[in-house]
Amino acid sequence: MSLTLYHRHVLEDYLAGFGEKANPNHIAVIRRPAIFSILAHRAHEAAVEDALKPVEGVHLRYCAPDEWLVVSTTLGAAVIENRLGEIAGASIVDQSDGRALLRIHGPNVRKILAKCVAVDLHADAFAIGTSANMLCCHVSVNLARTGADTFEIVVPRSFCGSLFEDVMEMGREFALTAAFADS
Amino acid sequence: MASLITCPHCGTRPKEEFSIRGAALKRPDPAASEKDWHAYVYLRENPKGRYQEYWHHAAGCRRWLIVERDNVTHDVFAVSDAAAVRGASE
Repeated sequence: MSLTLYHRHVLEDYLAGFGEKANPNHIAVIRRPAIFSILAHRAHEAAVEDALKPVEGVHLRYCAPDEWLVVSTTLGAAVIENRLGEIAGASIVDQSDGRALLRIHGPNVRKILAKCVAVDLHADAFAIGTSANMLCCHVSVNLARTGADTFEIVVPRSFCGSLFEDVMEMGREFALTAAFADS
Repeated sequence: MASLITCPHCGTRPKEEFSIRGAALKRPDPAASEKDWHAYVYLRENPKGRYQEYWHHAAGCRRWLIVERDNVTHDVFAVSDAAAVRGASE
């Protein structure tokens, strides 16, 4: 993991001057999330999925068959690496320096995201706890619903600035604000 | 355009998430004749109507899919994972 990339957040320059109070519609840019990608080896798919579910302190995000992201805002990367390292038949890679985590929430969040993604985000179709890879403002991201009005976006670092500017633009009519958050 | 594709892993998605590889042809045996390989690599039918294509879900699950669609009416009849189809035929 590259510590330079990890300690200087890619949105540092974008968020300069956004010091005011958070509005109801708000993006919390998680400063130092721990993000791992997990790929199950052939014939270990079910065992790896079962082993991932009970891991404490992390959220499991579905990407593709036998492929997941493990996201944590509370645990450090080293702790998670130890916990995941015990799982047999899986390739685990620390992506904390290569991905950014944005948490968008507020009463109009679905109206904002409707302009960003082409996926039905109604609670019947995309329930709390659901996650999937999708195109968001022309960037391939992993979108997860973590609450009724809360979504989390995991985006590749180099596309984060572009995605952030587009989402802020889509949120302008709803007075979307953004700021760093620790968890 | 057939604009909505129902990926077996991700659900209904717009065509912008996919890249199209072309007709889903059966690959010849490695020991097949030069003529067969030439036909497989270079020669293509240009069918009108229902046929099968390889689609890559580039912005989603990144799996290769076989999409059966009609290039006249733009109806999509079936979408399946290419690996599952190949596994069943082997």
